[in-house]
Amino acid sequence: MSFVQNFPFFSIILAMFSGIVSSVLPGKKARNLSLLMIAVTTALSAGTLFFCLRTGESYTYMMGHFPAPWGNEIRAGILEGATAVFFGVVMFLAVLGGLDHTAEDVEEKKLNLFYIMIDLMLSSLLALVYTNDLFTAYVFVEINTIAGCGLIMIRQKGRSMSAAIRYMIMSQLGSGLFLIGLSILYDITGHLLMSPAKESVAALAAAGDYRIPMLVIMAVIGVGLAIKSGLYPFHYWIPDTYGYATPTASAVLSGLVSKGYIFLLIKIFYRVLGYDNLVSSQMVNVLYVFGITGMVMGSLHAIHETDTRRMTAYSSVAQIGYIYMGIGLGTQPGMVAAVFHIFTHSATKALLFISAVGLYEASGDKKDYISLRGAGYRNPLAGIGFTVGSLSMVGFPMLSGFISKLLFATSALESPHKMLPTLIVLAVSTTLNAVYFLRLVITLYSRRRPEDAPISEVKVRSSWHLRLAILCFIAVNLVLGMSSQPIVQAITDGLAMFG
Amino acid sequence: MEGNMILLLPMLCPIAAGIVVLAGKVFRKNRKYLTGLSVMVLVLEFALALWAVMSGGGLTMLRLTDQLSLGLHADGVSRLFAMLTASVWLLVGIYSVAYMSHEEEEHRFFGYYLIAVGVLMGLNFSANLITLYVFYELMTLTSLPLVLHERSKEAVRAGLKYLFYSVAGAFLALFGIFFLAGVSESLTFTAGGVLNDGALAGKEGVFLISAFCMILGFGAKAGMFPLHGWLPTAHPVAPACASAVLSGLITKAGVLAIIRVVYYVIGADRLRGTWVQNAWILLTLLTVFMGSMLAYKEPVMKKRLAYSTVSQVSYVLFGLSMLNQTAFVGALSHVVFHSVIKNVLFLTAGAVIVTTGWTRVEQMRGLGQVMPKTLACYTAAALALIGIPPASGFVSKWYLASGALSSGTGVWAWAGPAVLLVSALLTAGYLLPLTIQGFFPGHDFKGEEIQKRKLTGKEPSIWMLAPIAALAAAALLFGCFPGSLISMLQSIAASVL
Repeated sequence: MSFVQNFPFFSIILAMFSGIVSSVLPGKKARNLSLLMIAVTTALSAGTLFFCLRTGESYTYMMGHFPAPWGNEIRAGILEGATAVFFGVVMFLAVLGGLDHTAEDVEEKKLNLFYIMIDLMLSSLLALVYTNDLFTAYVFVEINTIAGCGLIMIRQKGRSMSAAIRYMIMSQLGSGLFLIGLSILYDITGHLLMSPAKESVAALAAAGDYRIPMLVIMAVIGVGLAIKSGLYPFHYWIPDTYGYATPTASAVLSGLVSKGYIFLLIKIFYRVLGYDNLVSSQMVNVLYVFGITGMVMGSLHAIHETDTRRMTAYSSVAQIGYIYMGIGLGTQPGMVAAVFHIFTHSATKALLFISAVGLYEASGDKKDYISLRGAGYRNPLAGIGFTVGSLSMVGFPMLSGFISKLLFATSALESPHKMLPTLIVLAVSTTLNAVYFLRLVITLYSRRRPEDAPISEVKVRSSWHLRLAILCFIAVNLVLGMSSQPIVQAITDGLAMFG
Repeated sequence: MEGNMILLLPMLCPIAAGIVVLAGKVFRKNRKYLTGLSVMVLVLEFALALWAVMSGGGLTMLRLTDQLSLGLHADGVSRLFAMLTASVWLLVGIYSVAYMSHEEEEHRFFGYYLIAVGVLMGLNFSANLITLYVFYELMTLTSLPLVLHERSKEAVRAGLKYLFYSVAGAFLALFGIFFLAGVSESLTFTAGGVLNDGALAGKEGVFLISAFCMILGFGAKAGMFPLHGWLPTAHPVAPACASAVLSGLITKAGVLAIIRVVYYVIGADRLRGTWVQNAWILLTLLTVFMGSMLAYKEPVMKKRLAYSTVSQVSYVLFGLSMLNQTAFVGALSHVVFHSVIKNVLFLTAGAVIVTTGWTRVEQMRGLGQVMPKTLACYTAAALALIGIPPASGFVSKWYLASGALSSGTGVWAWAGPAVLLVSALLTAGYLLPLTIQGFFPGHDFKGEEIQKRKLTGKEPSIWMLAPIAALAAAALLFGCFPGSLISMLQSIAASVL
């Protein structure tokens, strides 16, 4: 066994231990440790990715001393490696961009707690990506939920407390459903490792046994994770949580956490339940309908919002809808498009949340439309960042959002019954996106009116880390938009490895 | 990057210059540098466009996916649009130097004016549908600051309206692009279309819907009913020189996109006789009539001209919708003539605003005493637009009407020319009163205001008058000597139909 194959395990455990060590560190040191840890784990993930690309196959890695079919396993392939690298990059930039606000929003004494949550969050995300057994998945789903709650709650201002409680309740509902699904699955197959469980499921499906329990498992796991990732109509917790948390937390929650669950769901679909079973059981159609409804409804809600943070949050509801629509198409290209959109949306939404910070700084920390008028002139780089993010969400060519839409549309052409609704909803949703995002962009670049309230404290120049983070996010977006071919190829290969 | 790099120059050079103008502080302070650089770049742009047109060939800039790439090429249609854009943009640029001295924040105007021509060149030279879409969206964004220039509440509202119509139109079209990408080998423009029969089988219904969406969506930029609403709002609020190019050239970008889609991607034969063609003809004729009617009733000069644009650009679309060689030649020649003529008209309106401050037509009584030369140019252009021989509008309308009559589209074959005729009468009705009232104000006209403000014989400066005169002369001369232009257009028409 090559040494590189240890890297996924190292990265998970490293993130977790940084959290533990941080509990005795002062805030600033915890922060530096956290940034260092994210950089190192990203490098480790990159090593894993290159190893898988070079060997061209995935591998499983036994944790502890019990071989399959018992014990715990993690598994790494191209898709896992790429996702882990990507999550690491987005996490790093989100933490970097939000440094100042984190310092402001969080009490000095509790600053290390915030970074403990960040460490645990990354650890659980990596575990969700790499895991090859359902029990580990469940454990880290719970760790993830708790870390998420901590991230929201730590800004003890305004509605963040009620937002955290709401998030907790909805997440627990999701985890509970997920656990019920796992219990039934364990009951009828006797396995928690993914590969043997899949064999039993396939044998059961071939024999025609346990039809209804299987259907229940699919529905319960699907809905459970859909609640946790904020799919319409289970989205009620999203606007408050993303809208009132500190910027880093908003970027991480909307950009990464919901994507971690979706990634787990895709993994379970492929590696446990069997994608063909899922397509034949009509479960994908349910997700499809939720997805396209979310695409439209999320945007409609966003149009009504005057608070720009909540608007951006509602836009996430729409974008999660896109991803589920891709999964729901029930074809290989649809799944590729969905995974690509996971990347697109992570990069773009985090860019929006982070560059919005610069705009708020230049507008006396107000977040409504009127106060933001002209903010694009007061903080040019943040204005450019927000504009690029908006254009990408709207689907402007050369940016990542366009490639996502293109992939969705071309994959829709291959499923005859879903082609027309998909194309129509794509067009409608794109236009709705344009309405609220471009309205805001124009607002950023229009002149302040005399009747507007004066801005109390204008911070003209953002700190260097915020500017660096914005620039890097823009670069990530352009890379996804302009050289998508190798990434799409990697996703396709990675999905093929899921087998 | 492989191919003829010269094609990049007409695009990159003005964009770079525009960014320099926007960023450089010296251009904000010193007007001479600003205008000097702008005019020099525009002259250079003309030369570069000519060079690119002469050298021809193609260029692949970037591969987005295996199937999709960004590329440029120079075929007949690109040549026509590129030369038209470069020459009109240069003349209006010279005019702007004098005109914009009355406005604030000139550097912003010239900066975006230069960037917009670069983007428009990219659009003209686009080699495939994706490239066209990229530049089409960019053009919306870069021409928006021209509409927003005054930054008044009204201008912002007009700008938003412009943006939403354009973006909604572009996304309607994008829906079609997504569909067409699935049923063709590549979206590279090829005369006669690139669609794959095998892939298209069984999807005819959706195909026609997406074709219609694309025509409708790109038609938004060309001011075609029902997405025309932005045009009469957005064009008049811009400074007159910006309205001139917006009306004269940016609307033609919509026309170019429709030509590319219908004749170079879908192929005219696939639409002939379908409901799409019929609906399209109906929409263009409605727009032609409605635009003329609204222009006839509009008292504000620039708005009247904007409505006239709505009507006239749909003449072009009507010619395209006939799917027939003669009408196609008429349409393309009307693209050229209308650009030239509409620029004269808007520039005249601007000259009147600068000299006298008059914006409504009834204020302009006795204008002939103030600026006879300018009004003479206006009259020449107006006659050309109405289509009185031997001025240019007659030539294009002749081809449009005879093409329609021989098109074999049933009732449209004669209804079309009839609507064009009525609209020509209306055109005379809304353009000529200015000439008549201007030169022959009648016995009861004392011209008190003109005498009080000492306006008699006060022509605009030579820098404004010369471009107007040059364009007006072109409007007449194209009508007298259309031979070489028409033969070039005929060769294009023969290749696509």
